[in-house]
Parts: sequence; structure tokens; C-alpha cells
Amino acid sequence: MVVTLVTRDAARLEFPCASGQDVLGAAEAAGLYPPAMCHEGSCGMCQARVVEGAYEMGPHTESAMPAGPGGVLLCRCLPQGDVTIELPCTDAQVGRHKIPVREAEIEAMAQAGAGAVALTLRLRPDAELGLAVDFIPGQYMELTILGTETRRAYSLANLPNWEGRLDFIIRLQPGGAFSSWLGERAAVGDVLNVRGPLGHFVLDESSPRPRCLVGGGCGMAPLLSMLRHMADFQDSQPVHLIYGANREDELLPAEELDALRAALPQLGVTLSVWRPGPGWTGFSGTSADALDAYLATAAETPDIYVCGPPRMMEAVMSTAQRRGVPEAQIFAERVQS
Amino acid sequence: MFCFQCEQTSRVDGVAGCASAKGVCGKDETTADLQDVLIHLLKGIGQYSTRLHQLGQPDNAADSFIMYGLFTTLTNVNFNRAVFMELIPEAARIRDRLRAAYEAAAAKAGQTAAQLSGPAQFQPADNLAGLLAQAQIASVRHGVEIVGEDVIGLRALILYGLKGVAAYAHHAEVLGQANEEIYAGIAHALDFLAGEPVDVAAMLDEAMALGRLNYTVMQTLDAANTGNFGAPAPTEVLTTPVAGKAILVSGHDLRDLHNILEATKDKGINVYTHGEMLPAHGYPKLHAYPHLAGNYGGAWQNQQSEFAAFPGPIVMTSNCLIEPQPSYRNRIFTAGPVGWPGIRHIKNDDYSQVVQAAQAMPGFTEAAPEKKVLVGFGHETLMGAAGAVVDAVKSGAIKHFFVIGGCDGAAPGRNYYTDFADHAPKDAMVLTLGCGKYRFNTHDFGTIGGLPRLLDVGQCNDTYSALQIALALAKTFECGVNDLPLSLIVSWFEQKAAAVLLTLLALGVRNVRLGPSLPAFLTPALLGVLVEKFGVQPITTADADISAALNRQAA
Ligand SMILES: Cc1cc2nc3c(=O)[nH]c(=O)nc-3n(C[C@H](O)[C@H](O)[C@H](O)COP(=O)(O)OP(=O)(O)OC[C@H]3O[C@@H](n4cnc5c(N)ncnc54)[C@H](O)[C@@H]3O)c2cc1C
Ligand code: SF4
Ligand code: SF4
Ligand code: FES
Repeated sequence: MVVTLVTRDAARLEFPCASGQDVLGAAEAAGLYPPAMCHEGSCGMCQARVVEGAYEMGPHTESAMPAGPGGVLLCRCLPQGDVTIELPCTDAQVGRHKIPVREAEIEAMAQAGAGAVALTLRLRPDAELGLAVDFIPGQYMELTILGTETRRAYSLANLPNWEGRLDFIIRLQPGGAFSSWLGERAAVGDVLNVRGPLGHFVLDESSPRPRCLVGGGCGMAPLLSMLRHMADFQDSQPVHLIYGANREDELLPAEELDALRAALPQLGVTLSVWRPGPGWTGFSGTSADALDAYLATAAETPDIYVCGPPRMMEAVMSTAQRRGVPEAQIFAERVQS
Repeated sequence: MFCFQCEQTSRVDGVAGCASAKGVCGKDETTADLQDVLIHLLKGIGQYSTRLHQLGQPDNAADSFIMYGLFTTLTNVNFNRAVFMELIPEAARIRDRLRAAYEAAAAKAGQTAAQLSGPAQFQPADNLAGLLAQAQIASVRHGVEIVGEDVIGLRALILYGLKGVAAYAHHAEVLGQANEEIYAGIAHALDFLAGEPVDVAAMLDEAMALGRLNYTVMQTLDAANTGNFGAPAPTEVLTTPVAGKAILVSGHDLRDLHNILEATKDKGINVYTHGEMLPAHGYPKLHAYPHLAGNYGGAWQNQQSEFAAFPGPIVMTSNCLIEPQPSYRNRIFTAGPVGWPGIRHIKNDDYSQVVQAAQAMPGFTEAAPEKKVLVGFGHETLMGAAGAVVDAVKSGAIKHFFVIGGCDGAAPGRNYYTDFADHAPKDAMVLTLGCGKYRFNTHDFGTIGGLPRLLDVGQCNDTYSALQIALALAKTFECGVNDLPLSLIVSWFEQKAAAVLLTLLALGVRNVRLGPSLPAFLTPALLGVLVEKFGVQPITTADADISAALNRQAA
């Protein structure tokens, strides 16, 4: 089914809608955010008028319904076929997931454990956005090497800021196109094309449950951003980090974690190394093994945020499922396409 | 969770109250339950505070904590669970401190300290799961099977009115105005509620006492606002942007606005008001800042599209906040009692990040063709014009006064207020206050007796000013307020409006038109009392209510 929203200034916004899906949910899934608040047919914020097509209304508060023929609440309007709906607002008032494309210069490159680079970019000012670096911790950017087709996704490791600063932690993949460029040719001052923020791997801040963040390989950056965000907001939610690596020299420098521990006193950390050297006293095994051990003793089933390469993700997900973590409490980001 | 404190409360299938995982406003179950627990503890503080007041040993720090704590629980104020996880143990500590102080003070006065029960003894759990398990006894509906709906409804009326009182009192206190009567009055109401009252007459008396207390509180807030920023004077406010960097300030707190104006002085940043901050332009000492550029947008329910389109940071100083959309989450800041998880909160009046955000963002690239509205008709200005008004009434140029005041909201039924203002006869003067005015304040009302026909009296607490004028007119014409050709058309949304309504009733103002819907916590029996005892009338249609108001006058 296709929904067409017609704004007061006659813009036509088209998007698909599944059977049983409400118009507001379908619009939001398509990146369109008409004014709305309760999402349950009570506040009256999403009122609109169906001018063509059949629909049904789900449960709602009668006084929130607009009077007159075709009056609906988008959050409770279930199309029964293609529908055309008039919105009481203008096109500009419909929120959009705008995905800016901007240019940024390499400001610094440093080693971040064996085989990884900490890359810092500085955005060039933008007419509409100025120097704002606007994202939700956990999201990523697409970086394109200028003059090439090489475009790769990298998660932001720092926090939203007003200085145009973007921090990444990039694990160099032997023979990889972006990895080779970064490891061998890139220099401070080089310019990259930056598109983002993208992605839905973000903290569910309304959840009352403890959080368990599981990262491996190149999947540390978004988790770092989330933890920094929690530290910045003095978020007192219980949180445990499981950070896995193949060898201990691939772990991030210890100062990084010490700083987080200082700012987040409730932070628990398990460093797990799969193939540790003889002196290793921490957990030996994969991050999935470490999660298993953590869940075995956890007092309350946490929300799990997991980010890493596909094989690690699969192992972590099946461990979580085996330990009875409901699917809705698992948030995941694959860092390899 | 169960919450039915505001006008937009869920009425799905005719059942009143937000009782699912999330309220209509976006307040989630956990936060709602924690708010209930906090209020329960505040009652405990109120129990001891009341006795300390009686012994002449008040603890004003505890009393201010009560006001702030209650304020965080108003509609559209604080949605951040983490804030309540901190306020709850703090409340318990304060309550225990007061208990010790009370026992010592009683002993010193040669009395035996009373053994208080209920909230005075309640021990909150030290973890979230435990607190949620306890929330049931703190629910507004606790005990309904025993005491019945009417008692629950009246207790709710008192609690919600009290929240409004506390919010106003907090605004006044941060501007340096507070007094014993207010502190003791608020503590008293909590103590009263802690006793789980069941006597309807006693509860009605308490509600009226609260209405009178709110009159004092609004008067004190008026003194705080005018004392700090001068008496409002008629002022034209630009409602269109000027070119340049920009900060938007919403909510009701004039002190926060003042601090932001100071923090942005000579920085090339323009400050715009939003929502209930519009009346700020009328205050001479705020108006004097050249970078207080204008007003942007309208009432709170439009904030998502307005904030998304604003090219700079936004500061929310009190209600009404709704869920920030992704496009402006990182540039909206909360202050004072306001909060949302993951949204930056201003601490210690440090606005440096807001300034930085304003400078990093482009601001308005060009000015729009100028439009203006007129604000600033506080009681001083109106008293100054009283002579002209009285003459206009005597000459018949003004035949009626309508005060169309209160909140705005998203419900379609609120069109009533637009129609009411637009359809009021040309020989009627319209006074307005609260954010409901955005429905009509840009319409052309013309003039009457040499005065603008639409007078913007200010924020909802400036009902105090409107009452001053009514009282002055009544004095001049040697009659009661109810004998004046004056009708009050009140649109309510949240708990400050509940406090204002109690004030009107306590002062004996009759025939208040209340809408757009009636409070869900008022049972048919309680509504019967309001109608019979106080002449409160639900709204019907604008035209019918206008002619009823005019005919009542003619009759
Ligand atoms: C949402 C998301 C977030 C991400 N975040 C991060 C992050 O924060 N940090 C990070 O380090 N990575 C991250 N990644 C991964 C990143 O996008 C790249 O996939 C990764 O850096 C490899 O890119 P590349 O150009 O270097 O390698 P590619 O050229 O894409 O090659 C990938 C792999 O294939 C191998 N390969 C390439 N060509 C051949 C060939 N011809 N034959 C055999 N093997 C070959 C390479 O050796 C390499 O191991 C993220 C990915 C996604 C989808
Ligand atoms: S404040 Fe209003 S909308 Fe929010 S939960 Fe309570 S009754 Fe519902
Ligand atoms: S007047 Fe009421 S509804 Fe309007 S902004 Fe203030 S608190 Fe909110
Ligand atoms: S979003 Fe509230 S009625 Fe649809």
C-alpha cells in the first residue's frame, strides 16, 4: 500500500505502508516525522484528513479526533489500500532525517593499539550546520576518499560537539582499500567526504535495565562514544563493558579505560583476550565466552549492546539467547558489510 | 503507572488516565512511578516541616526542596528517570533530618514529639526494582477500593493544585522572594494529604485554602518579577527573525532568561523568546537588552517543527517540554526542574555550551519582513489606564470584558478559544494570559475606547494582574466582581491552571467557563459541587457561551 501525505503547501510525500501498520509508523520508517507526541491516539498532535482511500481507526481518545469527514489521527490510522491524506502543516514542518554531506580534513592520526589507527577529522564549516557535529552516540559516518569510489562506514568514538571534531578508531584490514590508504598514503591535511550521521545503534535511554556493552575487534568506537556520553551526563545506570581482542596488544591503551572508570564509577569492565600471552591475568576467551560468564552471575537481565565483526556478533547473540535475554533487549551493529 | 493530572490524559475507549507503559505526554512508566514515590516522600517532609513551622523552627532549605521536587513532577517538566533516582534518596535524607530536628525542637519546647506515621516512616528501597515495587502505595489511586472515587478525586485536586502552587513559588523563590506563609502553606497541604483525608468538607476547605495560598504566591511572584525587572509596560515584540546567530529560550523562568541575556551580552548572538517566555519583553529591564531580539514560534505543542527549524540552540527553562526530535536533540538544553534522558542539562547557570552552540551554528541568514505583537499589560499599566477604561464603560464603548486565559494544547477542541476571541462582540474588551493566547494574538482586534481591544496581561501566573483589574473595577463601580460585565474563560492543561482555578473559586469568582475538557480526576459528584457551589461551567460552543455571558449580564 502507498500512503501519500499532502502538506498545506501542496508538497506530496509518498511512502509504503504495510498491512496492519499505522500511517505515522510508516512515515517515520521512511524518515518523515510529522508533528506527533503520544503515538497512541490521545494527544491529537498528529491529526490529519484522509481525502481518498479506505482506512480503519485503532483505539483512540475521542476528543483528540479532528471533526469532519475523513478526520484521523495518523498514529491510529490503518490504511486498507492506497490512501491520500491532507496534513494540517507545511512541508517544512515535517521533520526529516536529514543526512548531511560535508567535507573534513585529517587533523591527526595516531596508533590505537596494534593494527589500529585513531583518526581525527575536522569538519569544514557548513552554511546550514556551521560547525555542529550532530549525532547520537553509536551512530556512524560514511567516509569517502576524495577523487575515489572508496566509501566506508566508521563509527564515531567521540561525542556530539560544536567544534567540528570527529574521532574514529579504525582497525587496518590487510589489503583493504580504505585500510591501505589510511595506513600508507593518508596525511594530515588530506580531505575526506563525510556523510552522516547514520545508523540506529544507539542507547535506549528510557530503559530502566542495566546495560552490557560488548565489543570486539573494530567494534569499540561506538561503545566508547556511548560510555563517554554516559560519563558526560553522569548517567548512573549500571553498565558493564566486555571488550574482546585476539591478542592483548590489540586492546586500547589502558588510559582510555581508566578515564572512563574515573568518570563512571559504576562501570564494570571485562577485558577478554582470545589468544593471550603468558603474562595475561584477565579473562581468556572470546567476548561471547565473557558475556556468558557475566550473564551467569548477573542479578538482572541487562540490555545488551553488541558491535563487532559478523562472526563475533553471531556468537554473542546466540549466547544471549541461550541465557534467556529477550530479543527486544539486544541491540546490535555489524561493522562489516 | 497511573497518572491523570493533565487535560490531555488518555481517554482511550472512554477510560480516563494514562496507565500503559507510557503517558500521552511521553512520560514512561518507570519515571511516573518514581515521581509518585518522590511525592510520597515529600509528604513525609511536609509532615515534619509543618510541625517545625508550628514550633517556630522552620527548615526553609527543606521547604524549597519540596517546591523544587513537586515542580519536577508537573506535566511536561521532567522525564528523566535518573533525576528521580537521585531526588528520592535526597528526599529521604531531608525527611530524616527534619524528623530529628522536630524531635529536638519538641523536646526543647517541653513537648512529647508526635509519632508520625505514613510517609513520615516510609523507607524507599535503594534500587530501582525495589522502588518500583513500592510505587503502588504512593499511587494517586491508592486505597480507592476503600475510600471511593470521590475522595481520590478530591485528594488529586489538592495535590495537583499544590503542584501548581509549588511551581509558581519556585519561580518566585529563585528571584529572591519567598515567605513563611508560602513555605508553611505548602508543607501544610502535604501534611494534610499525608493524613489520607476522607472528609469531603475538610478537603474542600483545604482546596480553598490552597486557592488563597496561590493568590499570595502569584502576588509574590509578581513582586519578584516586577521587583527584579520593572513593571511590564506595553511593548511591541518582533515575531519575525533578524539576521544573525540565535538562541531560543522557552518556558516561564525570567531569571534564566536574564542569565542567558547576560551570558550572551556583546557576543553577537540574538536571544528569542518562545511560548510562555513572550511576556518577558514587557519587562523594562529585560527589554533593555538590545539582543533580546523577538519572539519565535507559538505555543508549546508546536515545538517539534519550530525547534527543528530554529537555526541555533534552544533552552527549556520550565514546562512544557515534549520529546525532542532527533534533528535537535543535541542543541536543546534543559534548565532548573526540567529534564529528558540524553538531553544536556544546564548546571550552575553555566550557559557556555549554549553560547558555543549558538556560535557554531549559522543562525538566521536573513531577516524576514517584520511582524509584531503587543505585550506588557500588567496591572500597573492597566491601573494607569483605569480612568480611560472606566470612562469607556460609562460611555458604553466597552460593554463587556472577557478574560480568555490559560494553556494551549493539541486537542482539536481548543479551536473553541480561537472562535471565542474572534467572535466576541466588538464592544467587548479581551484580556488574555497564558500560552492559549497564541491562537489569536496575531489577529487584528482593533481598538476600543482608545485602548487596544486585545490586552496581553502576561503568563498564566499574571492572572494576579487580571484579578487586580477586576477588583479595581468592582471597587470603582461599587459592586462585587461577579456583578461586573466580566467573564472568565479558562483553558486548562496542566497543574498551574488547576492552582489558578482554585484561586478563582476561593476568591468567590463565579461562572468560570472551564475547558476544553473537564479534569479527569473530577468525578460527576465533584463536578456537581463545583457547578452548584462555585457556578463553574463546562464550555459548550463559543457562540453559545458568548451569548450566555452577555445575557447573564443583561439579566
Ligand atoms: C556500520 C559500520 C560501522 C563500522 N565501524 C567501523 C569502525 O568503527 N572501525 C573500523 O575499523 N571499521 C568499521 N567498520 C568496517 C569498515 O567500514 C570497513 O569495512 C573496514 O574498515 C574495511 O575496509 P577496507 O576498505 O579497508 O577493506 P575492503 O577493501 O572493504 O576489504 C575488506 C576485507 O576484505 C579483504 N579483501 C579486500 N579485497 C580482497 C580481495 N580481492 N581478496 C581477498 N580479500 C580481500 C581485505 O583484506 C579486508 O580484510 C564499520 C562497518 C560498518 C558497516
Ligand atoms: S502528565 Fe498528562 S499526559 Fe502525562 S502521563 Fe500524566 S496525565 Fe498522562
Ligand atoms: S501555560 Fe501551561 S500549557 Fe502553556 S506553556 Fe505554560 S505550563 Fe505549558
Ligand atoms: S501522536 Fe498523539 S494522537 Fe497521534
